[in-house]
Amino acid sequence: MTGPSVRPDAVTTRSPQPMDRLIDRRSFLARTAALAAVTTTGAVVLPAIAYAGAQPARSGDAGPYRPPRPEALADITELTIAEAAWLIRARRLKPELLVEAYLDRIAAFEATYQAFNLVAADAALAAARQLADRRHLGPLHGIPLAIKDNYYTAGLRTTANSFLFQDFVPPFDATSVARLRAGGAIVLGKTQMGPLATTRATTPNGIVTTVNAWAPTEPAIDPGGSSTGTGTAVAGRLATSGTGTQTGGSITSPSNAQNLTGLKPTMGRVSLYGIVPLSYTRDHPGPLARDALDAAIMLGAMAAPDPADPRTQGLPPVPDLVTAATAVSGQGRIRLRWPTRIGVIPGYASGTSASARARQEFLATLAAIPGATLVDVPLPDEWDLLTGGAFNNVRLPERSEPFMPYLRTDLRGFGVSVTGWLQGALLGADEFLTGQRAKLLLLERVLDTVFDRCDVVVQTSPVPFDIIGLPELALPIGFTPAGLPIGTILGGQPYGEDRLLSIAAAYQAVTDWHLRRPANPPGDAPPLTTVDGRPPYRRSLAAAMSRAPDPGRGRFTADQVAAVMQ
Amino acid sequence: MAPTPPTDAELDILIRARLAAVGIDLDQLPAGTVPDPVTGSPGRDSVVASLRSFLRGTVATLSTYRLPAPAGTDPAHEAALSQQRAPMLYPSISTAWRES
Repeated sequence: MTGPSVRPDAVTTRSPQPMDRLIDRRSFLARTAALAAVTTTGAVVLPAIAYAGAQPARSGDAGPYRPPRPEALADITELTIAEAAWLIRARRLKPELLVEAYLDRIAAFEATYQAFNLVAADAALAAARQLADRRHLGPLHGIPLAIKDNYYTAGLRTTANSFLFQDFVPPFDATSVARLRAGGAIVLGKTQMGPLATTRATTPNGIVTTVNAWAPTEPAIDPGGSSTGTGTAVAGRLATSGTGTQTGGSITSPSNAQNLTGLKPTMGRVSLYGIVPLSYTRDHPGPLARDALDAAIMLGAMAAPDPADPRTQGLPPVPDLVTAATAVSGQGRIRLRWPTRIGVIPGYASGTSASARARQEFLATLAAIPGATLVDVPLPDEWDLLTGGAFNNVRLPERSEPFMPYLRTDLRGFGVSVTGWLQGALLGADEFLTGQRAKLLLLERVLDTVFDRCDVVVQTSPVPFDIIGLPELALPIGFTPAGLPIGTILGGQPYGEDRLLSIAAAYQAVTDWHLRRPANPPGDAPPLTTVDGRPPYRRSLAAAMSRAPDPGRGRFTADQVAAVMQ
Repeated sequence: MAPTPPTDAELDILIRARLAAVGIDLDQLPAGTVPDPVTGSPGRDSVVASLRSFLRGTVATLSTYRLPAPAGTDPAHEAALSQQRAPMLYPSISTAWRES
């Protein structure tokens, strides 16, 4: 790897401040302190949290369109969203051809990958044909997506990989699916996931299904969960991008395991309406993508206030994520869009393992980018306690309460996942409230101890920021000697997705980890589809999808699920 | 004086009674420790053992935790003066909601 240099898609533009600079963190802390000091004798006047920015301008810099790389022209399943959008807007690529190319790969490799629960081939092709004749709707126009199977899709079965929903056909789209479709995206299929979003993808009775696209013949290698199918579909070039949900690492983990860029936004950025709940204060919908720009395009479409979800209302406006995810240069070198202090927590890069060495190189690469400053930051008091097992378990009643009708009538319908739902039903209200108070304490400490010293912070686990709803971005930073991806996670301040994307964009402008793709699984590969056309190929999607669960891939017991569930 | 910790048998009664009180009958699950071969759902004895561990671990840890009193609080009056943080389901969102 060489030092920072300019990639062709970098542009030179100065930008306004990132969203985390437009939220007055100090006034938040002052107000929190005032709240804590309130006595029963009277009220206090609270300082307001000030959003200091103007409404962010839309579209800037190069926008969401990029000329495709030669290797992507030679195999259109390799295109990023931004590249495919460039071709589609220029009418050099028909969405139908892109869908056909993915269907070919699904037919060829789905029996091995087992990334999908359902492939909506006919509907996807019909949508692609319709889109060919419509005015251009934006960067998602004609882009085939893999949708996690806990997002409602009108008229398409939505199972959450559970016996409880095996015949559920929603009458409407989840808000975020509707927004993606309104932007021209095509729902290619519904992806495998951990049962009810608990673990890596398995059948409801625990048999491992989806494999890691980087080790398709080794089911024991973790593909990351629970948005496993989306991760494998995007990594294995069965779809251009996709959606996941994260309650305890389920976007960042499959992204890290499969060389993708995943973005878990701040709680409330994306509506949860129409998504099967797991833990409703911690379920974060977001994209799994091939690079930072694609993640920005996806999140930009998904994020908006939703009248059906009050958590999305009253928030700062969604900033221009595409511009944030566009690398900038100055004097011939890539630089950070905004000067950024990158916090490094104790032990993050310690040791000699492949992961430790990759983290050391990651930090060194970041430090070499103008505008980046590495700073050591301490962990807040009681970090292990407040982010550990018991306080993490405070989420469990949130899964029991909405499922009470099922718990009363169909315990076996929960399959191997039932234990967590019963645990939630046992947690008392006193303990639940203590946990909710501790969330605010943890947030205060993170803001005061960590973000007083830095703007973003590296993570060793996604769970702490899942507990308090802060944004996280996962990105590739290397490979093990065995050729498996190594990723890492950056955490940000509330609504700081733009800052996270800006760092990932700069890092990806000077590295090429994110451009590497896994080899095809064994077996006959379909001929490559180029922008000029698709060679003849006989495919049988039905054969690829009609598979029996294979216990030889491994099987989770209920106790194992309870130990690792998100 | 702290009460005597409950025995396994007492916790089993608590677990079954609590779940039954909200309408959940553990007898829906297979007897013993063998999972249901079709659904993979665990035997009820296995589940009860897991739930005992949950009560002794998570519930005990949360219930004994004391949030810190505001800085400068007189230790002699800590319990009386301690105004706890508000329970916050959505702490990150609250940073914006407190703007108004």
